[in-house]
Amino acid sequence: MENAGRQTQILTARDAGLVGCRVCAKVHLRGTAKCVRCGSPLRSRDTHSLQHAMAWLFAGLVMYIPANIYPMLLTTTLGQTTENTIIGGVIDLMHHGSYGIAAVVFVASVLIPIGKFIAIIYLALSIERPGSTSPHRRQQLFEVVEFIGRWSMIDVFVVAILSALVQLQALATVNPGIAAISFALSVVFTMLSALSFDSRTIWDSNRAAKA
Amino acid sequence: MTNPEPSEMDIEAPGRPFWRNLSVIWLVPILALVVSLGVAWQSYSGRGELIEISFKDAGGVTAGETTLRYRDVVIGTVETIRFNGDLSKVIVSARVDQSVVPYLDESASFWVVRPQVTTRGISGLSTVLSGVYITGDWDTKIGTAKLRFDGKDVAPLVAPGRKGTRITLRGDDGNILSAGAPIIFKGIEVGRLEEPRLTDSGNSVLVGAFIDAPQDKRLTTATRFWDTSGFTVKFGAQGFALDVKSLSSLLAGGLEFADIYEGGQPIPDGYVYTIYPDEETARKSLANRTISDGINLTIPFDDAISGLAVGAPVRFGGVQVGEVSAILARSGANPDNPTGPVQLVANVVIDPVQMGMNEASGNGEMLDFFAGEVEKGLRAKLATESLFSGALVVDLVRVENPTPATLRRDGQPYPILPSVPSEMSDFTATAEGVLKRINSLPIEELMTQTTELISSVNKIVSSESTQALPDEARAILSNVRTLIADDATQALPGELRAAVADLRAVVTDLRSAGAIESLTSALKNADRIAANVATASDQFPQIVEQIRTLTEKANALKADELVASAQALIDSANKLVDSDSTRALPASLASALDEVQKILVDLREGGAITNVNATLDSARKAADSVASSVDKLPQLTDRLNTLLSRADTVLSAYGERSDFNDETVATLREIRDAAAAVSKLARTIERNPNSLLIGK
Repeated sequence: MENAGRQTQILTARDAGLVGCRVCAKVHLRGTAKCVRCGSPLRSRDTHSLQHAMAWLFAGLVMYIPANIYPMLLTTTLGQTTENTIIGGVIDLMHHGSYGIAAVVFVASVLIPIGKFIAIIYLALSIERPGSTSPHRRQQLFEVVEFIGRWSMIDVFVVAILSALVQLQALATVNPGIAAISFALSVVFTMLSALSFDSRTIWDSNRAAKA
Repeated sequence: MTNPEPSEMDIEAPGRPFWRNLSVIWLVPILALVVSLGVAWQSYSGRGELIEISFKDAGGVTAGETTLRYRDVVIGTVETIRFNGDLSKVIVSARVDQSVVPYLDESASFWVVRPQVTTRGISGLSTVLSGVYITGDWDTKIGTAKLRFDGKDVAPLVAPGRKGTRITLRGDDGNILSAGAPIIFKGIEVGRLEEPRLTDSGNSVLVGAFIDAPQDKRLTTATRFWDTSGFTVKFGAQGFALDVKSLSSLLAGGLEFADIYEGGQPIPDGYVYTIYPDEETARKSLANRTISDGINLTIPFDDAISGLAVGAPVRFGGVQVGEVSAILARSGANPDNPTGPVQLVANVVIDPVQMGMNEASGNGEMLDFFAGEVEKGLRAKLATESLFSGALVVDLVRVENPTPATLRRDGQPYPILPSVPSEMSDFTATAEGVLKRINSLPIEELMTQTTELISSVNKIVSSESTQALPDEARAILSNVRTLIADDATQALPGELRAAVADLRAVVTDLRSAGAIESLTSALKNADRIAANVATASDQFPQIVEQIRTLTEKANALKADELVASAQALIDSANKLVDSDSTRALPASLASALDEVQKILVDLREGGAITNVNATLDSARKAADSVASSVDKLPQLTDRLNTLLSRADTVLSAYGERSDFNDETVATLREIRDAAAAVSKLARTIERNPNSLLIGK
């Protein structure tokens, strides 16, 4: 791809005087204010994209801290309340021998969010200072981030489903902790961050660097 | 391409200030940050204070799980459990809610709630499922906050801050008391006991108690507590009475209290009461009330005072006015003789209220009163409390004509009240003797005999004859009544009176006639006679023996033979007389025969033989008869002799032998024999009349 990047000069839509709708992907001529199909505003480049992405990312990071400090689940069994944080839950699962589930939880709740933060920060930084990584790679990274972001919600889903199902009064009760909300918000913010990141800038910066 | 076109300029807006470039989207992370920080700060500030509670053991307490509760609301969680320095205690660190921290002062107490089954019910059952928890309790006043507490082993019986009065009860025996036992006032539970504990000296048991408001205002210095645990069985004139209080007090013990007199003073917190074994004793203990303003007196005793105990009543005219506060033996109790012998001394405390004085009146007034009374003869004296107990009481009595004494105000340790010896020692001994005697009575035996007697009586009473008795008795009674009603009987008293009068007259006569002297001499004679009689009595067996011999001899007299012979003679004679030939006999013979018949009749009439036989039983009668017979015997002998001589003449006149002659001769011979026998008897009797009696 690097070779490809170097060899073929990529003609961007902007270069071609075109602008694509980010919602329905219809191509318009530059200068068109609104998408004729879906009515969404058309902009060749979102000048605030980076700023927005960073803002959301920062919010997501902020929310990620209490998500890990506070308990995710409040399990009350026969009057005894157990509080589990994300990492605590993973360790508990490992102690119980459920390595598979522990791995899933760990990946979904720890690796993916942190990976996303890193990926988005990296992408944002690479716009200003493109490194050796080709725009293709970065585009792929962005797509992975965007795709995988929703899977981080797996933990929140588990908590939500458990809380809804396990309400057996005195026998056993599961309630979401503060961390569940924080984590959900964190995931939402990072998804918004990824969404607000205008991936077209990857290519601009690349060309700018080339130029 | 030839004309260079101006390059397309990137016209940019003039550099906008940095903040103008900032998107509003930045508000989101800022908000997130604020919210996060807010949450963090809230949870930090609200996480509460870490307090440390030390327990003996932390059974069931789990770090991170065991909760700390107040009024059953969770106020914190145990965070860590560790030992103290020397492993003697477990220190539980718990984070408690900030809102309660200010209240955690000296009044706070913590204990671990565990399931408990007591006489008052089952508690802490919820902890079976939920696990134990720590409960804290404190009053509602904000005090100096503390962070270290000593946990209790058991839940306190009284929640801190509860309104009421805490008192201390003193008893002799702890087994009537158990923690949580109810305190009852008129049947209503108004308080609870705490764990009993021994006093330092080990003499008595102290137990704290808490009386809830508003009943605590019933507590005054006039209040008495008594034990209601268990049940009371009374057996008396009213019959059998079983008194059981509440089941709880039956099992765990309980106390009841009441004001036993009016006008008690309010008590301060921590006032010490005495526990009495029962209500009766409590009510009797009127004077045992703690006499706060009483006056102390010292009474030296010369008697032994065993039986006098501390707390024994001091009575004045039978009314308790105080109690013995101490008994000691000390020398120099008498200020006049400080080196005197050791004396037994009782310190008593007299309650001015019981003496009818104002409680406010000072000691001086009381002492003045006692000094005056002592001048008038007031003395202390020991007395037994009751007939059968050896317990002593101190009686303040007024003695008649006392040896002068005064109240020694300079006495040590208290003013000295003089005493007089008591009289109860002898009495006790006597009573003991009586009891011993009663003891040694053969009650068992008596009972057995009584039982037998009763059964016999039963038998008699149930027999028909006994039941018939009343009728007979009635008949007798009517007879008696008739007799009494009889004029003669009724006249009897009169006659008796007359007789008595006569007798009196006679006696008077006798006295006047000097009969007394003669009577005396007669009596003397009689004495002598009696003595002789006594001597004779000694010989009496001998006489009896002689009589028996005589009887035998008389039996051996062959009187039957004699009578039979005489009868035969008479028959023969009759035959002779009745025969024709005999009629022909000369008149002399006839007269002779008549004579013979007469003799025989005489003989029979004289009854000598018959009499002898008949009177052998009675010596005197026999003697009389014999005597009269003897009188006639010489005549008889003479007649027989005459008869014989005539018969001889007759016989010689017949001369020849004929049937008649033979018969006659036989008859005559028999007559002669008889006559000879009679003559012999007569002679014998004549010679010795006594021989008939004495058999010689």
